[in-house]
Amino acid sequence: MKSVRLAITLALLCVVPALTLAQEEKQTKVEKNDGLEQRVIELEQRVIELETTTVLSDPETRIKRIEVFVDAEGVEHDTQVSGSKRRVTYQRERVYRRQTINEKISEAMEDAANRNVKVNVDAAIIIQNAQQARGNDKKADGNFYQLASTDLYFTAGLAQYTLFFADIVGLSGTPPDDEIDGLTLANGYSARLVQQNDLSLREAWLMTELWDQKLSLVIGRVDLTNYFDANAAANDETSQFLSDALVNNPALGLSENGAGMTVVYDPKKSFSFRMGYQQSTSVASNLSDSLFLLLEAGYQFNPFHMGEGNYRAWYRKDNTENDASAYGISIDQKLAAGITLFARYGSAENVISNNRDKYYSTGLQFTGGLGLYPEDTFGIGYAYADPATVEKEKLLEGYYNLAMTEKLRLTFSLAYLQERRGNSTTDAYVIPGMRLQASF
Amino acid sequence: MNNTKKALTIISLFPVIIFILFLLPGISLAGKKIKITDPASIVVIVNRDSNDIAFMDIKTNKIIGNVFLGKNVNPHMAMMSKDGRWVVTGGTRSNKAYIIDVATLTLVKEIPVGFAPEHLAFSPDGRYYYQGSPDNDSVSVIDMVSMTEIKRIPGFAEPLNITFTFDGSKAYVGNYGAHWVGVIDVTRHELLKKIYVGEVPQIASLDPERYLGEIKGVSNVSISNDGRYLYAADGDLGIVSVIDSREDKVIKQIRVGADPWRAYMSHDGNYAVVANNGDETISIIDLQKNKVVATLEAGPDMVGVNFAAGKAFVISSSSGFLYVYDMTSLTSAGRIKIGKNLQIETATTDTADEKIYLASSTDHSVYIIDGKTEDITRVANVGLYPWGTHILDSKDNYCH
Repeated sequence: MKSVRLAITLALLCVVPALTLAQEEKQTKVEKNDGLEQRVIELEQRVIELETTTVLSDPETRIKRIEVFVDAEGVEHDTQVSGSKRRVTYQRERVYRRQTINEKISEAMEDAANRNVKVNVDAAIIIQNAQQARGNDKKADGNFYQLASTDLYFTAGLAQYTLFFADIVGLSGTPPDDEIDGLTLANGYSARLVQQNDLSLREAWLMTELWDQKLSLVIGRVDLTNYFDANAAANDETSQFLSDALVNNPALGLSENGAGMTVVYDPKKSFSFRMGYQQSTSVASNLSDSLFLLLEAGYQFNPFHMGEGNYRAWYRKDNTENDASAYGISIDQKLAAGITLFARYGSAENVISNNRDKYYSTGLQFTGGLGLYPEDTFGIGYAYADPATVEKEKLLEGYYNLAMTEKLRLTFSLAYLQERRGNSTTDAYVIPGMRLQASF
Repeated sequence: MNNTKKALTIISLFPVIIFILFLLPGISLAGKKIKITDPASIVVIVNRDSNDIAFMDIKTNKIIGNVFLGKNVNPHMAMMSKDGRWVVTGGTRSNKAYIIDVATLTLVKEIPVGFAPEHLAFSPDGRYYYQGSPDNDSVSVIDMVSMTEIKRIPGFAEPLNITFTFDGSKAYVGNYGAHWVGVIDVTRHELLKKIYVGEVPQIASLDPERYLGEIKGVSNVSISNDGRYLYAADGDLGIVSVIDSREDKVIKQIRVGADPWRAYMSHDGNYAVVANNGDETISIIDLQKNKVVATLEAGPDMVGVNFAAGKAFVISSSSGFLYVYDMTSLTSAGRIKIGKNLQIETATTDTADEKIYLASSTDHSVYIIDGKTEDITRVANVGLYPWGTHILDSKDNYCH
């Protein structure tokens, strides 16, 4: 029995150290694993920190415009105290905001761009063909016409709410109007431009905004048609109708751009008011003898909630030809989302007749995904010119403006133009056209 | 016998110990002074550069206190739980979510979440707080009981705003880096479905840069008052897609202006106002007909729309203007100049639909606009670079 006990004791004596060793080894392994796990956690944390701190994390210094209150002793207070006056000053402050390097670069680039003069280009090539449908004047029959137009726009911010704008236009080629000789232009690109195949300064003006930006003053060489007789559906030869009769009201009677000024009061409510004048002819020796004055009131409302409608009425006075005056209206009314009805009427004094020149136009514009592609627009319009003389003009035009890219648009146009001449003969033309327009 | 007694004593003491352990956080807060007794009486202000959340009393317009989150946290959006007990926020540059006890204005928990957290939402029962991390393409699910991140749902593409259905069964996530809406099954916290909101025009093949250079997808999904329909505006596609929440299907696409940011629902549930930043207009959608009934001129960089006194106030961030629209006649009703050289951010409306609390980051102020009279009151020095505001139960709690 004793020997058995001895044997067990000996065995235990041998086993216990072995067990202890195994235990220690296990402990070491666990510690090693814990260490590794801890290391992995630390590394993960480092990765997160690296991700987070791959940004500019230094406190940023900014200069702020602040309002303070200065008392009679010249002591500055954050809030108004007795006898203090409000003063505007500037102060540096530190902020703790991290920005990624991308954010920082974008901000710097945007800031630099805002300080620079911005240049935009609007270039177009218009190809038209005239097919005589009626009449004997075959001068234009079968002929092709190509006009290339490039506008360079320069914009620069000069002061708060004040900017300078210039539009230099180059026209090259021939529109069909020299041969068709209609009452209005079949290609509106050459409207109000005296020189062709040359560079012209279409506009150059300074604009400033006053009274919480409700009042805009524009002074310089202006194109008053940009401010008056506007229309959402028929006011732009670069994207809508090509014919000038469907761009502006002929009763405006503005033959060229000139030096002048425009005042626009637009509180962004239903009503807006405009007043403008310009020198109506570049050959006049002074402004007093060639003053072209325009007034306009605009009203916007939403009848029966079918969509917004803009209603404008204008009046003009022109002292170049026996104080001729004119008035007109321009309406665009949404009939449904994407469908706009437009109409214009104008009546102008005729210097050689007691009767008045009258002009009418109407049509529809379709936008908002009603075409082949979402940003396509198309429209159809009719214009009738009824001057006091025997000459008359009827125009029917349709166009489809295909938005190929954000910067490139292709327009197909088809016009039917009928001219009743002074000798009581009538000529009619079918004018298919194409306009490739790049804006960037 | 003694051992048995000891064991029974330990067993009986165990729940008491557990109970005490649960009480500990409460006890630690109990030591703090109660600063806010009525959570509905305060405006929560997110201060991005001073890295804190400020609390302003609605009656006095005074800052009651603020909770500092840590340097370079840069909180983005804050929201109060339905019971008013907690305010949560995500620190965009700390990769953490923060939980603040409203009564004592104490930061009680910091929870690591996905990279650069921004927008967030509470489930209607307040149990879960979903924190989106657009740069991590994930949504973190935080259990408000355990105050831990119980799951991180991957698979999104720049997830911005999160909208829960009223019954809390699903959450819809706007993916600004894609043209789909993510549907999360809230019981399992899993991305259940991707709803394709619209087709990129085929003509896009001529203009690959337009769609490859930068993506402007879905920033938000807005829910109708009856909870049935969801309205998802897609910036690149220029549409608002109407989703039926019963079937999670697009039932209509409404074409709006260029680069729509999101649809904001009028409080009466009749209209949605969509801010179109591409052409600086707003589109007003009749929610009964799902048609655009007005497209009106607005301003640049629109970041929010608030409704008060029967009008819509559209925030034009860079111009410092609020553009105002009469929601009866659906016409322009002027604009309010907040100030010169200001960058204004987002706003919330009080529960009476009377006043708007607008964060103005560059002058560290909150502007209070009376919806009826359009009078403005400035509360200066609310913190550095206030980015947004929040009021409990307001219908205009949102971020940008």
